[in-house]
Amino acid sequence: MHTRIRDYPSRSSEIIRDDPGVRDAVTGATIAFDQKRLQGYAEVDADAWRRWAEGVKSHTLTHLDRYLAEAETQLEANGAEVHWAADAAEAREIVMSLAARHSVKSVVKGKSMVAEEIDLNPALEAAGIEVYETDLGEYILQLLEEEPSHILGPAIHKSLQQVQELFADRLGSEPGGDPDTLARAARRVLRDAFIQADMGITGGNFLVAETGTVALIENEGNIRLTTSLPRVHVAVVGIEKLLPRMADLSGFLQLTARAATGQPIGCFVSLVQGPASHPDDDGPEAVHVVLVDNGRTDVLAHEHAWEALRCLRCGACLNACPVYRQTGGHAYGYVYSGPIGSVLDPGLLGLHEAMPLPFASSLCGACEDACPVRIPIPEMLLEWRREAQEEGLTPWKERAALKGLASVATRPGLYRLAGRIGSRLGATGVARGLPMLGEWAADRALPQPSRRTFRELWRKGIE
Amino acid sequence: MARVARATASRPGLPHPGALATPRSDNAVDAFVKRFTGSGGEVARADPELPPGEWLARFLRGLEPQVTGVALAPDVPPELRPRLQEAAGAHASAGISLAWGAAADTGSLVLPSTGTRAVQLLPPVHVVWLPAGRVFARLDDALLELGAGLPAAVGLHSGPSKSADIGRTVVTGVHGPGRCIAVLS
Ligand code: SF4
Repeated sequence: MHTRIRDYPSRSSEIIRDDPGVRDAVTGATIAFDQKRLQGYAEVDADAWRRWAEGVKSHTLTHLDRYLAEAETQLEANGAEVHWAADAAEAREIVMSLAARHSVKSVVKGKSMVAEEIDLNPALEAAGIEVYETDLGEYILQLLEEEPSHILGPAIHKSLQQVQELFADRLGSEPGGDPDTLARAARRVLRDAFIQADMGITGGNFLVAETGTVALIENEGNIRLTTSLPRVHVAVVGIEKLLPRMADLSGFLQLTARAATGQPIGCFVSLVQGPASHPDDDGPEAVHVVLVDNGRTDVLAHEHAWEALRCLRCGACLNACPVYRQTGGHAYGYVYSGPIGSVLDPGLLGLHEAMPLPFASSLCGACEDACPVRIPIPEMLLEWRREAQEEGLTPWKERAALKGLASVATRPGLYRLAGRIGSRLGATGVARGLPMLGEWAADRALPQPSRRTFRELWRKGIE
Repeated sequence: MARVARATASRPGLPHPGALATPRSDNAVDAFVKRFTGSGGEVARADPELPPGEWLARFLRGLEPQVTGVALAPDVPPELRPRLQEAAGAHASAGISLAWGAAADTGSLVLPSTGTRAVQLLPPVHVVWLPAGRVFARLDDALLELGAGLPAAVGLHSGPSKSADIGRTVVTGVHGPGRCIAVLS
């Protein structure tokens, strides 16, 4: 995928300065998500669940070759076809050749980060295939020709009014309709798309090696439809999505939902084993699973970065992040944004490509506390910064910020103290502690900080 | 795959932590009802005095808006089928399925694809027969029981279709059924 990571400093300032609505919308949505996560965690023994999930994922990743082989064998036994894609180009070619082989004219898609990562839509459209994003948020963005800005709520940066105007213009819905009316207008268009589509394309939250099960979590039902109505289903899945056994799945389904939205489980879960074989099953006649590497084995081999492959894409770290809340995902310039993007992108794309993302953080630690698989994001950011410094990749401004930060961030008590002092000093003081905010403060777009520190504030979930 | 093997070789294998211990409620049916309705699902109890098919026909006639045609999953046994105008999934105003079972801890109906997916997904109202004896305390228990006999696909339905993608307001029935009613029998 084409990245705009290098523009992070200018794009983030631009968004804050020129489009203040984005910050309001993103901050509001992320704080609401974050609060729900806290409630969702409080209902269970979240610490024990998170330690367990970390353990299962780390076990799986250190035996990934074995589990991938098992998954392939199982899927084939279930009648599904497995395809291996070393990089984005190969993944696109595989899907395109499947589309040709199955004479596909139109495609419905369920939300998939990997499909974004491999730039699938432009390739399909270039071949004259009609593509419908069916997640409501993704559909809005498709009409706007924009990229998703959040893992879970791809269009959280859009206001109700913006959607009203868009749907009035493009779907002929009545101006000023309420969310219900607007959703019905989208449903009408997409329902026809579902019924006509030849191929459904999804990602996959998990792939259970023991049973060859692709598990997908959602709330709208669009993924259930995408995996059920078209005659061909293609699941594009990163190789890190493996789980060893069916007995691991239930815990992960629940933990992902709790981390993402505080729900006990997504309203709909699809467990796909293969093509329909029973006479009463009206599901797809062919199921293809495309396993995508695209930089993941490099991450796996990396001394520190490999832990990022535990990521469930729940979005909790984005929601908890005071820096992400300022701009939303677009500023980051790549499909994986926010704290997880800042540690994963350097591994997937190469550190040089992903600069200056490892610096787009105040190292406050909120992301790690939120993460259902306990990825030590702040520590990993420091590792990337160290590597960047060794390779001479850091511009002077970031290096200066790093100097002060690295020393305090490894000692959280001291960092919190520095933060508190910062908030007494006003914007420039805080900006010194939050490296990328330095630019924003210079643009005078940073709100006067409250006398409470960020860390105190996000603990309470209010700005 | 060889690349993956090389990438994992540099690191010692970490052990699997075993099963996640989650609580089992004493009364699975009550726990299911609480969770399922907590997520916006509805629960009805069939009247034991009436033949089930007749009870269901009356229940459906009482729904607002009026049910005009029902899509019936082929695996719903004759005694559970209401005698009402039938319609294909895409045109029916209610779909009638039979759950394989349910999970109390997540409030999920377990629906195998052999029950015909169009019935489970296309009509605006989904009514699901759920034998009370098939409610498992934990989703984990249900999935393991389903284990070897997994059909091509399984849907876990834990409430109506929902989205908050427009203006952060929750709307129901976006793509899937806007009402999901479990009928305990
Ligand atoms: S890093 Fe953790 S919190 Fe962030 S998206 Fe991944 S799993 Fe969720």
